[in-house]
Amino acid sequence: MSSNKGSALLIVAHGSTVNPDSSAPTLAHAAEIRRRKIFAGVECAFWKEEPSLRDAIFLFDPESLREVYVVPNFISEGYFTQTVIPRELELNGRITKRPNGQIWNYCEPVGSHLMMTELLLKRAHDVAPDVVPAEASLLIVAHGTDLNENSAVAAKREAEKIRAFGKYAAVLNVYMEEPPLVSDWRKLTESPNVVVVPFFISDGLHSYEDIPILLGIAGAAGVDRGRPGSPPPATAHGEIFRQNPYAIDGRKLFYAPSIGTDPGFADIIVEQANAAGKT
Amino acid sequence: MRDLIEEIFNGLPVPFSFGQILVRRRECAGFVLLHRDDASLDLLETYRDAEGAIGIAKYDDAGNYRPLKTAPNLRHGWRLELAAVEELRRALDYFYPGRLAVFAAWKSGYLKTTALRETLDRQSGMYRVAAKISDPQINDLVTDFCRSDTGCLRTILWKRDRNRVIASTKLPNEKFDPVYDQGTASGPPGSATPATAAAAATVPLLCQEACNLLVAECRKVVKDEDV
Ligand code: SF4
Repeated sequence: MSSNKGSALLIVAHGSTVNPDSSAPTLAHAAEIRRRKIFAGVECAFWKEEPSLRDAIFLFDPESLREVYVVPNFISEGYFTQTVIPRELELNGRITKRPNGQIWNYCEPVGSHLMMTELLLKRAHDVAPDVVPAEASLLIVAHGTDLNENSAVAAKREAEKIRAFGKYAAVLNVYMEEPPLVSDWRKLTESPNVVVVPFFISDGLHSYEDIPILLGIAGAAGVDRGRPGSPPPATAHGEIFRQNPYAIDGRKLFYAPSIGTDPGFADIIVEQANAAGKT
Repeated sequence: MRDLIEEIFNGLPVPFSFGQILVRRRECAGFVLLHRDDASLDLLETYRDAEGAIGIAKYDDAGNYRPLKTAPNLRHGWRLELAAVEELRRALDYFYPGRLAVFAAWKSGYLKTTALRETLDRQSGMYRVAAKISDPQINDLVTDFCRSDTGCLRTILWKRDRNRVIASTKLPNEKFDPVYDQGTASGPPGSATPATAAAAATVPLLCQEACNLLVAECRKVVKDEDV
Protein backbone atom coordinates (compact mmCIF):
# COMPACT_ATOMS: atom_id res chain seq x y z
CA MET A 1 0.00 0.00 0.00
CA SER A 2 1.30 3.43 -0.84
CA SER A 3 0.15 5.00 2.41
CA ASN A 4 -2.43 3.87 4.89
CA LYS A 5 -3.68 7.42 5.39
CA GLY A 6 -6.06 7.42 2.47
CA SER A 7 -6.53 3.65 2.35
CA ALA A 8 -9.47 1.68 3.60
CA LEU A 9 -10.06 -2.03 4.07
CA LEU A 10 -13.26 -3.83 3.17
CA ILE A 11 -13.60 -7.38 4.46
CA VAL A 12 -16.24 -9.28 2.52
CA ALA A 13 -17.89 -12.39 3.92
CA HIS A 14 -20.90 -14.57 3.23
CA GLY A 15 -22.97 -13.97 6.37
CA SER A 16 -26.22 -15.78 7.05
CA THR A 17 -29.92 -15.17 7.52
CA VAL A 18 -30.19 -18.11 9.92
CA ASN A 19 -26.85 -18.58 11.70
CA PRO A 20 -26.24 -15.89 14.34
CA ASP A 21 -22.53 -16.80 14.57
CA SER A 22 -21.73 -16.52 10.88
CA SER A 23 -20.55 -12.92 10.82
CA ALA A 24 -19.03 -12.87 14.31
CA PRO A 25 -15.44 -13.80 13.33
CA THR A 26 -15.43 -11.29 10.46
CA LEU A 27 -16.63 -8.51 12.78
CA ALA A 28 -14.01 -9.52 15.37
CA HIS A 29 -11.17 -9.48 12.82
CA ALA A 30 -12.35 -6.06 11.59
CA ALA A 31 -12.40 -4.71 15.16
CA GLU A 32 -8.86 -6.03 15.73
CA ILE A 33 -7.53 -4.49 12.51
CA ARG A 34 -9.29 -1.21 13.32
CA ARG A 35 -7.55 -1.24 16.70
CA ARG A 36 -4.17 -1.50 14.98
CA LYS A 37 -4.86 1.71 13.01
CA ILE A 38 -3.27 0.34 9.84
CA PHE A 39 -6.06 1.68 7.63
CA ALA A 40 -7.94 4.95 7.68
CA GLY A 41 -11.16 2.94 7.59
CA VAL A 42 -12.11 -0.69 8.15
CA GLU A 43 -15.53 -1.98 7.14
CA CYS A 44 -17.23 -5.32 6.57
CA ALA A 45 -19.85 -6.27 4.00
CA PHE A 46 -21.87 -9.44 3.59
CA TRP A 47 -23.78 -11.28 0.90
CA LYS A 48 -26.52 -12.28 3.33
CA GLU A 49 -26.28 -9.66 6.07
CA GLU A 50 -25.93 -5.94 6.48
CA PRO A 51 -24.15 -3.93 5.32
CA SER A 52 -24.72 -5.61 1.98
CA LEU A 53 -22.16 -5.78 -0.79
CA ARG A 54 -24.22 -3.11 -2.55
CA ASP A 55 -24.08 -0.87 0.54
CA ALA A 56 -20.30 -1.30 0.55
CA ILE A 57 -19.97 0.89 -2.55
CA PHE A 58 -21.03 3.84 -0.36
CA LEU A 59 -19.11 3.03 2.80
CA PHE A 60 -15.98 4.99 1.91
CA ASP A 61 -15.98 8.74 1.44
CA PRO A 62 -14.39 9.26 -1.99
CA GLU A 63 -12.87 12.57 -0.99
CA SER A 64 -10.88 11.35 1.98
CA LEU A 65 -10.32 7.71 1.06
CA ARG A 66 -8.53 7.27 -2.22
CA GLU A 67 -7.98 3.53 -2.11
CA VAL A 68 -10.04 0.59 -0.92
CA TYR A 69 -8.63 -2.92 -0.44
CA VAL A 70 -11.26 -5.62 -0.75
CA VAL A 71 -10.32 -8.87 0.99
CA PRO A 72 -12.76 -11.77 0.66
CA ASN A 73 -12.99 -13.67 3.94
CA PHE A 74 -13.50 -16.93 2.08
CA ILE A 75 -11.68 -20.26 2.29
CA SER A 76 -11.14 -20.52 -1.44
CA GLU A 77 -11.68 -18.97 -4.83
CA GLY A 78 -15.08 -19.93 -6.19
CA TYR A 79 -18.48 -18.68 -7.24
CA PHE A 80 -18.55 -15.93 -4.62
CA THR A 81 -15.06 -14.56 -5.14
CA GLN A 82 -15.21 -14.87 -8.93
CA THR A 83 -18.85 -13.99 -9.71
CA VAL A 84 -20.88 -12.54 -6.85
CA ILE A 85 -18.42 -10.18 -5.18
CA PRO A 86 -17.08 -8.51 -8.37
CA ARG A 87 -20.59 -8.15 -9.75
CA GLU A 88 -22.14 -6.68 -6.59
CA LEU A 89 -19.19 -4.35 -5.92
CA GLU A 90 -18.96 -3.41 -9.61
CA LEU A 91 -15.32 -4.44 -9.86
CA ASN A 92 -13.69 -5.14 -13.17
CA GLY A 93 -10.57 -7.10 -12.44
CA ARG A 94 -7.91 -6.66 -9.77
CA ILE A 95 -7.93 -2.86 -9.94
CA THR A 96 -11.04 -0.78 -10.53
CA LYS A 97 -11.08 2.99 -10.81
CA ARG A 98 -14.45 4.42 -9.89
CA PRO A 99 -15.85 7.47 -11.71
CA ASN A 100 -15.16 9.45 -8.51
CA GLY A 101 -11.47 8.52 -8.74
CA GLN A 102 -11.48 6.05 -5.85
CA ILE A 103 -9.37 2.99 -6.60
CA TRP A 104 -10.60 -0.43 -5.48
CA ASN A 105 -8.06 -3.24 -5.22
CA TYR A 106 -9.52 -6.70 -5.29
CA CYS A 107 -7.34 -9.03 -3.20
CA GLU A 108 -7.00 -12.81 -2.96
CA PRO A 109 -9.28 -14.63 -0.52
CA VAL A 110 -7.93 -15.22 2.96
CA GLY A 111 -7.87 -19.01 2.56
CA SER A 112 -5.42 -18.81 -0.34
CA HIS A 113 -2.65 -17.18 1.69
CA LEU A 114 0.51 -19.17 2.44
CA MET A 115 0.15 -18.33 6.15
CA MET A 116 -2.99 -20.50 6.26
CA THR A 117 -0.86 -23.63 6.59
CA GLU A 118 0.89 -22.26 9.68
CA LEU A 119 -2.43 -21.21 11.16
CA LEU A 120 -3.90 -24.70 10.73
CA LEU A 121 -0.84 -26.14 12.48
CA LYS A 122 -1.21 -23.61 15.29
CA ARG A 123 -4.89 -24.45 15.69
CA ALA A 124 -4.09 -28.16 15.81
CA HIS A 125 -1.50 -27.50 18.50
CA ASP A 126 -3.83 -25.20 20.49
CA VAL A 127 -6.58 -27.80 20.68
CA ALA A 128 -4.23 -30.63 21.65
CA PRO A 129 -1.20 -28.95 23.25
CA ASP A 130 0.08 -32.06 25.05
CA VAL A 131 -0.22 -34.40 22.11
CA VAL A 132 2.96 -35.46 20.32
CA PRO A 133 2.25 -34.86 16.61
CA ALA A 134 4.10 -38.06 15.64
CA GLU A 135 1.41 -39.95 17.55
CA ALA A 136 -1.48 -38.06 16.03
CA SER A 137 -3.43 -37.83 12.79
CA LEU A 138 -4.55 -34.42 11.68
CA LEU A 139 -7.85 -34.15 9.80
CA ILE A 140 -8.69 -31.00 7.83
CA VAL A 141 -12.45 -31.02 7.24
CA ALA A 142 -14.15 -29.25 4.34
CA HIS A 143 -17.66 -29.44 3.00
CA GLY A 144 -17.07 -31.21 -0.32
CA THR A 145 -19.56 -31.43 -3.21
CA ASP A 146 -20.10 -27.74 -2.76
CA LEU A 147 -20.77 -26.46 -6.23
CA ASN A 148 -20.06 -22.89 -5.25
CA GLU A 149 -16.70 -23.32 -3.63
CA ASN A 150 -13.42 -25.05 -4.20
CA SER A 151 -12.98 -25.61 -0.48
CA ALA A 152 -12.36 -29.32 -1.02
CA VAL A 153 -9.42 -28.49 -3.26
CA ALA A 154 -8.13 -25.96 -0.74
CA ALA A 155 -8.35 -28.51 2.10
CA LYS A 156 -6.48 -31.04 -0.03
CA ARG A 157 -3.76 -28.51 -0.79
CA GLU A 158 -3.33 -27.60 2.89
CA ALA A 159 -3.25 -31.26 3.93
CA GLU A 160 -0.54 -31.96 1.35
CA LYS A 161 1.55 -29.06 2.57
CA ILE A 162 1.28 -30.09 6.22
CA ARG A 163 1.99 -33.69 5.31
CA ALA A 164 5.22 -32.59 3.65
CA PHE A 165 6.50 -31.27 7.00
CA GLY A 166 6.46 -34.88 8.23
CA LYS A 167 5.37 -33.76 11.70
CA TYR A 168 2.12 -35.65 12.10
CA ALA A 169 1.74 -39.40 11.81
CA ALA A 170 -0.84 -38.71 9.09
CA VAL A 171 -2.52 -35.67 7.60
CA LEU A 172 -5.81 -36.12 5.78
CA ASN A 173 -8.29 -33.91 3.99
CA VAL A 174 -11.77 -35.24 4.71
CA TYR A 175 -15.22 -34.12 3.62
CA MET A 176 -18.73 -34.10 4.94
CA GLU A 177 -20.40 -35.31 1.76
CA GLU A 178 -17.85 -37.03 -0.43
CA PRO A 179 -15.00 -39.47 0.16
CA PRO A 180 -12.75 -39.47 2.02
CA LEU A 181 -15.61 -39.03 4.49
CA VAL A 182 -15.09 -37.50 7.90
CA SER A 183 -17.41 -40.18 9.27
CA ASP A 184 -14.84 -42.80 8.23
CA TRP A 185 -12.15 -41.34 10.48
CA ARG A 186 -11.80 -44.57 12.46
CA LYS A 187 -10.90 -46.47 9.30
CA LEU A 188 -8.84 -43.68 7.79
CA THR A 189 -6.55 -43.18 10.78
CA GLU A 190 -4.50 -45.50 12.99
CA SER A 191 -2.80 -43.22 15.50
CA PRO A 192 -3.81 -43.07 19.18
CA ASN A 193 -4.70 -39.36 18.81
CA VAL A 194 -6.81 -37.67 16.19
CA VAL A 195 -6.98 -33.89 15.82
CA VAL A 196 -9.83 -32.47 13.74
CA VAL A 197 -9.82 -28.90 12.40
CA PRO A 198 -12.85 -27.65 10.39
CA PHE A 199 -11.66 -25.58 7.42
CA PHE A 200 -14.53 -23.09 7.60
CA ILE A 201 -14.77 -19.31 7.91
CA SER A 202 -17.11 -19.41 10.90
CA ASP A 203 -18.75 -21.78 13.30
CA GLY A 204 -22.31 -22.77 12.57
CA LEU A 205 -24.47 -25.77 12.00
CA HIS A 206 -21.64 -27.66 10.25
CA SER A 207 -19.08 -27.27 13.01
CA TYR A 208 -21.51 -27.26 15.95
CA GLU A 209 -23.66 -30.17 14.93
CA ASP A 210 -23.10 -31.87 11.56
CA ILE A 211 -19.41 -32.71 11.93
CA PRO A 212 -19.76 -33.78 15.60
CA ILE A 213 -22.51 -36.17 14.50
CA LEU A 214 -20.33 -37.52 11.68
CA LEU A 215 -17.42 -37.92 14.10
CA GLY A 216 -19.67 -39.62 16.63
CA ILE A 217 -18.93 -37.14 19.41
CA ALA A 218 -22.28 -35.32 19.51
CA GLY A 219 -23.73 -38.03 21.78
CA ALA A 220 -20.58 -38.20 23.90
CA ALA A 221 -20.90 -34.49 24.59
CA GLY A 222 -24.48 -35.01 25.74
CA VAL A 223 -25.81 -32.94 22.93
CA ASP A 224 -28.17 -35.29 21.16
CA ARG A 225 -31.01 -33.40 19.63
CA GLY A 226 -34.67 -34.16 19.62
CA ARG A 227 -35.29 -35.66 23.04
CA PRO A 228 -38.54 -34.15 24.25
CA GLY A 229 -37.99 -31.71 27.04
CA SER A 230 -34.21 -31.87 26.73
CA PRO A 231 -32.28 -28.61 27.02
CA PRO A 232 -31.04 -27.01 23.81
CA PRO A 233 -28.00 -28.79 22.39
CA ALA A 234 -24.77 -27.72 24.05
CA THR A 235 -23.21 -27.68 20.61
CA ALA A 236 -25.19 -24.57 19.83
CA HIS A 237 -23.09 -22.71 22.35
CA GLY A 238 -19.73 -24.09 21.31
CA GLU A 239 -19.77 -26.50 24.25
CA ILE A 240 -18.61 -29.23 21.88
CA PHE A 241 -15.16 -27.57 21.75
CA ARG A 242 -14.81 -27.48 25.52
CA GLN A 243 -15.07 -31.20 26.16
CA ASN A 244 -11.85 -32.33 24.51
CA PRO A 245 -10.53 -34.94 24.33
CA TYR A 246 -13.25 -37.40 23.39
CA ALA A 247 -12.31 -40.97 24.25
CA ILE A 248 -13.56 -43.24 21.47
CA ASP A 249 -12.51 -46.85 20.84
CA GLY A 250 -9.44 -46.44 23.01
CA ARG A 251 -8.35 -43.35 21.10
CA LYS A 252 -8.42 -39.66 21.88
CA LEU A 253 -10.15 -37.26 19.55
CA PHE A 254 -9.60 -33.49 19.75
CA TYR A 255 -12.11 -31.25 17.98
CA ALA A 256 -11.20 -27.63 17.18
CA PRO A 257 -13.48 -24.67 16.34
CA SER A 258 -13.53 -23.53 12.70
CA ILE A 259 -10.21 -22.13 11.53
CA GLY A 260 -11.83 -18.78 10.64
CA THR A 261 -12.47 -18.00 14.32
CA ASP A 262 -8.71 -17.92 14.98
CA PRO A 263 -7.51 -14.37 15.80
CA GLY A 264 -4.62 -15.06 13.40
CA PHE A 265 -7.07 -14.47 10.55
CA ALA A 266 -6.74 -10.72 11.16
CA ASP A 267 -3.02 -10.92 10.24
CA ILE A 268 -3.80 -12.82 7.06
CA ILE A 269 -6.48 -10.31 6.02
CA VAL A 270 -3.92 -7.51 6.39
CA GLU A 271 -1.34 -9.58 4.51
CA GLN A 272 -3.71 -10.12 1.59
CA ALA A 273 -4.27 -6.36 1.36
CA ASN A 274 -0.51 -5.77 1.52
CA ALA A 275 0.10 -8.33 -1.21
CA ALA A 276 -2.36 -6.55 -3.52
CA GLY A 277 -0.74 -3.21 -2.73
CA LYS A 278 2.67 -4.44 -3.82
CA THR A 279 1.63 -5.71 -7.21
CA MET B 1 -9.52 14.70 7.22
CA ARG B 2 -13.13 15.42 6.29
CA ASP B 3 -15.55 13.08 7.99
CA LEU B 4 -19.08 13.02 6.61
CA ILE B 5 -20.60 11.07 9.46
CA GLU B 6 -19.06 13.36 12.06
CA GLU B 7 -20.50 16.30 10.20
CA ILE B 8 -23.92 14.70 10.47
CA PHE B 9 -23.51 14.21 14.21
CA ASN B 10 -22.34 17.79 14.64
CA GLY B 11 -25.38 19.12 12.84
CA LEU B 12 -27.86 17.02 14.81
CA PRO B 13 -29.79 18.11 17.84
CA VAL B 14 -29.62 15.53 20.65
CA PRO B 15 -31.80 13.66 21.52
CA PHE B 16 -32.37 12.15 18.12
CA SER B 17 -33.80 8.87 16.93
CA PHE B 18 -32.29 6.37 14.55
CA GLY B 19 -34.67 3.55 13.69
CA GLN B 20 -35.87 2.21 17.04
CA ILE B 21 -33.01 3.80 18.95
CA LEU B 22 -33.08 6.98 20.93
CA VAL B 23 -29.76 8.78 21.40
CA ARG B 24 -29.57 11.09 24.40
CA ARG B 25 -26.75 13.13 25.82
CA ARG B 26 -25.51 12.10 29.25
CA GLU B 27 -25.35 14.69 31.99
CA CYS B 28 -21.61 14.35 32.51
CA ALA B 29 -20.33 13.54 29.03
CA GLY B 30 -21.01 11.18 26.23
CA PHE B 31 -24.24 9.52 25.13
CA VAL B 32 -26.79 7.02 26.24
CA LEU B 33 -28.67 4.86 23.77
CA LEU B 34 -31.89 3.00 24.43
CA HIS B 35 -34.90 1.53 22.72
CA ARG B 36 -37.37 4.29 21.93
CA ASP B 37 -40.14 2.41 23.71
CA ASP B 38 -37.99 2.16 26.85
CA ALA B 39 -37.36 5.88 27.05
CA SER B 40 -39.02 6.30 30.43
CA LEU B 41 -37.96 3.10 32.14
CA ASP B 42 -35.16 2.88 34.70
CA LEU B 43 -34.76 -0.84 35.08
CA LEU B 44 -32.60 -1.36 32.06
CA GLU B 45 -29.57 -3.57 31.75
CA THR B 46 -26.59 -1.31 31.20
CA TYR B 47 -23.86 -1.88 28.64
CA ARG B 48 -20.79 0.29 28.42
CA ASP B 49 -18.98 -0.34 25.18
CA ALA B 50 -19.94 0.02 21.55
CA GLU B 51 -19.41 -3.69 20.90
CA GLY B 52 -22.27 -4.39 23.32
CA ALA B 53 -24.52 -3.31 20.44
CA ILE B 54 -23.58 -6.45 18.47
CA GLY B 55 -25.18 -8.71 21.06
CA ILE B 56 -28.20 -6.47 21.62
CA ALA B 57 -28.95 -6.27 17.89
CA LYS B 58 -28.59 -9.99 17.27
CA TYR B 59 -31.80 -11.36 18.82
CA ASP B 60 -35.35 -10.03 19.23
CA ASP B 61 -37.34 -10.02 22.47
CA ALA B 62 -38.30 -13.66 21.92
CA GLY B 63 -34.68 -14.70 21.41
CA ASN B 64 -34.92 -15.19 17.66
CA TYR B 65 -32.01 -14.24 15.41
CA ARG B 66 -32.64 -10.98 13.51
CA PRO B 67 -31.53 -11.51 9.91
CA LEU B 68 -32.64 -7.97 8.99
CA LYS B 69 -31.27 -5.39 11.39
CA THR B 70 -33.64 -2.68 10.14
CA ALA B 71 -36.70 -4.79 10.97
CA PRO B 72 -38.82 -3.18 13.72
CA ASN B 73 -38.01 -5.90 16.25
CA LEU B 74 -35.06 -4.51 18.17
CA ARG B 75 -35.09 -5.98 21.63
CA HIS B 76 -36.04 -3.96 24.70
CA GLY B 77 -34.64 -3.64 28.18
CA TRP B 78 -31.10 -2.31 27.71
CA ARG B 79 -29.23 0.96 27.79
CA LEU B 80 -25.88 1.57 26.21
CA GLU B 81 -23.63 4.24 27.68
CA LEU B 82 -20.91 5.58 25.44
CA ALA B 83 -18.14 8.02 26.25
CA ALA B 84 -17.42 9.61 22.89
CA VAL B 85 -18.75 10.31 19.45
CA GLU B 86 -16.44 7.72 17.87
CA GLU B 87 -18.04 5.01 19.98
CA LEU B 88 -21.52 6.31 19.25
CA ARG B 89 -20.79 5.97 15.58
CA ARG B 90 -19.50 2.39 15.99
CA ALA B 91 -22.48 1.37 18.09
CA LEU B 92 -25.01 2.83 15.65
CA ASP B 93 -23.22 1.01 12.88
CA TYR B 94 -23.56 -2.29 14.75
CA PHE B 95 -27.27 -1.62 15.30
CA TYR B 96 -27.96 -0.57 11.72
CA PRO B 97 -24.92 -1.64 9.68
CA GLY B 98 -24.01 0.68 6.84
CA ARG B 99 -26.99 2.99 7.31
CA LEU B 100 -25.01 6.01 8.56
CA ALA B 101 -22.66 5.84 5.57
CA VAL B 102 -25.55 5.50 3.13
CA PHE B 103 -27.26 8.49 4.75
CA ALA B 104 -24.01 10.48 4.47
CA ALA B 105 -23.73 9.53 0.79
CA TRP B 106 -27.33 10.60 0.23
CA LYS B 107 -26.76 13.95 1.93
CA SER B 108 -23.66 14.54 -0.17
CA GLY B 109 -25.54 13.72 -3.31
CA TYR B 110 -23.54 10.69 -4.42
CA LEU B 111 -25.92 7.91 -3.37
CA LYS B 112 -27.05 5.92 -6.38
CA THR B 113 -30.31 4.01 -6.26
CA THR B 114 -30.98 0.81 -8.20
CA ALA B 115 -34.40 -0.23 -9.49
CA LEU B 116 -35.68 -3.59 -8.26
CA ARG B 117 -35.87 -5.01 -11.78
CA GLU B 118 -32.20 -4.19 -12.28
CA THR B 119 -31.29 -5.91 -9.04
CA LEU B 120 -33.29 -8.98 -10.04
CA ASP B 121 -31.91 -9.10 -13.58
CA ARG B 122 -28.37 -9.07 -12.21
CA GLN B 123 -28.83 -12.21 -10.10
CA SER B 124 -27.18 -15.51 -10.92
CA GLY B 125 -27.28 -19.03 -9.56
CA MET B 126 -30.31 -19.91 -7.47
CA TYR B 127 -31.59 -16.30 -7.49
CA ARG B 128 -31.71 -15.93 -11.27
CA VAL B 129 -35.31 -17.17 -11.35
CA ALA B 130 -36.44 -14.29 -9.10
CA ALA B 131 -36.57 -11.97 -12.14
CA LYS B 132 -39.65 -13.84 -13.36
CA ILE B 133 -41.82 -12.20 -10.71
CA SER B 134 -44.67 -10.15 -12.23
CA ASP B 135 -45.29 -6.45 -11.59
CA PRO B 136 -48.50 -7.02 -9.56
CA GLN B 137 -46.65 -9.64 -7.50
CA ILE B 138 -43.90 -7.13 -6.77
CA ASN B 139 -46.52 -4.61 -5.71
CA ASP B 140 -48.02 -7.04 -3.18
CA LEU B 141 -44.73 -8.44 -1.97
CA VAL B 142 -43.11 -5.06 -1.29
CA THR B 143 -46.29 -3.89 0.48
CA ASP B 144 -46.12 -6.88 2.75
CA PHE B 145 -42.41 -7.32 3.24
CA CYS B 146 -41.16 -3.74 3.52
CA ARG B 147 -43.98 -2.11 5.50
CA SER B 148 -42.63 -0.10 8.41
CA ASP B 149 -44.86 -1.42 11.19
CA THR B 150 -44.08 -5.10 10.75
CA GLY B 151 -41.43 -5.48 8.04
CA CYS B 152 -38.67 -2.93 7.84
CA LEU B 153 -38.00 0.60 9.03
CA ARG B 154 -36.12 1.78 5.98
CA THR B 155 -37.30 4.51 3.65
CA ILE B 156 -37.48 3.09 0.14
CA LEU B 157 -35.59 5.17 -2.41
CA TRP B 158 -35.51 2.65 -5.26
CA LYS B 159 -38.14 2.30 -7.97
CA ARG B 160 -39.67 -0.81 -9.41
CA ASP B 161 -38.08 -0.49 -12.84
CA ARG B 162 -36.40 1.79 -15.35
CA ASN B 163 -39.72 3.58 -15.98
CA ARG B 164 -39.46 4.79 -12.39
CA VAL B 165 -42.70 3.12 -11.31
CA ILE B 166 -43.19 3.31 -7.56
CA ALA B 167 -42.13 0.15 -5.67
CA SER B 168 -45.56 -0.34 -4.11
CA THR B 169 -48.78 1.55 -4.74
CA LYS B 170 -50.24 0.22 -1.50
CA LEU B 171 -47.67 1.60 0.93
CA PRO B 172 -48.25 5.12 2.27
CA ASN B 173 -46.35 7.94 0.57
CA GLU B 174 -44.34 8.43 3.76
CA LYS B 175 -42.60 5.12 3.15
CA PHE B 176 -40.71 6.85 0.34
CA ASP B 177 -40.07 10.11 2.17
CA PRO B 178 -36.71 10.41 4.00
CA VAL B 179 -38.07 13.23 6.14
CA TYR B 180 -40.70 10.97 7.67
CA ASP B 181 -39.84 9.06 10.85
CA GLN B 182 -40.63 5.42 10.00
CA GLY B 183 -40.31 4.54 13.69
CA THR B 184 -43.64 6.24 14.32
CA ALA B 185 -45.51 4.36 11.59
CA SER B 186 -48.61 2.89 13.08
CA GLY B 187 -49.98 -0.54 12.44
CA PRO B 188 -52.86 -1.33 10.12
CA PRO B 189 -56.12 0.51 10.83
CA GLY B 190 -57.63 -0.69 14.09
CA SER B 191 -54.37 -2.16 15.39
CA ALA B 192 -53.90 -1.96 19.14
CA THR B 193 -50.22 -1.03 19.09
CA PRO B 194 -49.78 2.67 19.73
CA ALA B 195 -47.30 4.48 17.55
CA THR B 196 -43.95 5.21 19.16
CA ALA B 197 -43.47 8.80 20.31
CA ALA B 198 -41.65 10.99 17.83
CA ALA B 199 -38.20 12.29 18.73
CA ALA B 200 -37.06 15.84 18.09
CA ALA B 201 -34.88 14.77 15.19
CA THR B 202 -34.46 11.60 13.26
CA VAL B 203 -31.85 10.07 10.98
CA PRO B 204 -33.64 7.97 8.36
CA LEU B 205 -32.59 4.42 7.53
CA LEU B 206 -32.38 4.57 3.78
CA CYS B 207 -32.90 1.74 1.33
CA GLN B 208 -31.15 2.56 -1.93
CA GLU B 209 -31.49 -0.94 -3.34
CA ALA B 210 -33.58 -4.00 -2.49
CA CYS B 211 -31.93 -6.19 0.12
CA ASN B 212 -31.00 -9.82 -0.36
CA LEU B 213 -33.97 -10.87 1.76
CA LEU B 214 -36.43 -9.21 -0.60
CA VAL B 215 -34.67 -10.82 -3.58
CA ALA B 216 -35.03 -14.19 -1.83
CA GLU B 217 -38.74 -13.46 -1.28
CA CYS B 218 -39.18 -12.63 -4.98
CA ARG B 219 -37.63 -16.00 -5.78
CA LYS B 220 -40.01 -17.69 -3.37
CA VAL B 221 -43.04 -16.06 -5.02
CA VAL B 222 -41.89 -17.36 -8.42
CA LYS B 223 -41.05 -20.81 -7.06
CA ASP B 224 -44.35 -21.16 -5.21
CA GLU B 225 -46.15 -20.46 -8.43
CA ASP B 226 -44.25 -23.19 -10.25
CA VAL B 227 -45.57 -25.95 -7.99
S1 SF4 C 1 -35.90 -4.05 0.43
FE1 SF4 C 1 -35.25 -2.34 1.72
S2 SF4 C 1 -37.14 -1.66 2.69
FE2 SF4 C 1 -37.56 -3.70 1.88
S3 SF4 C 1 -37.08 -5.11 3.56
FE3 SF4 C 1 -35.24 -4.95 2.34
S4 SF4 C 1 -34.07 -3.33 3.34
FE4 SF4 C 1 -36.17 -3.12 4.05
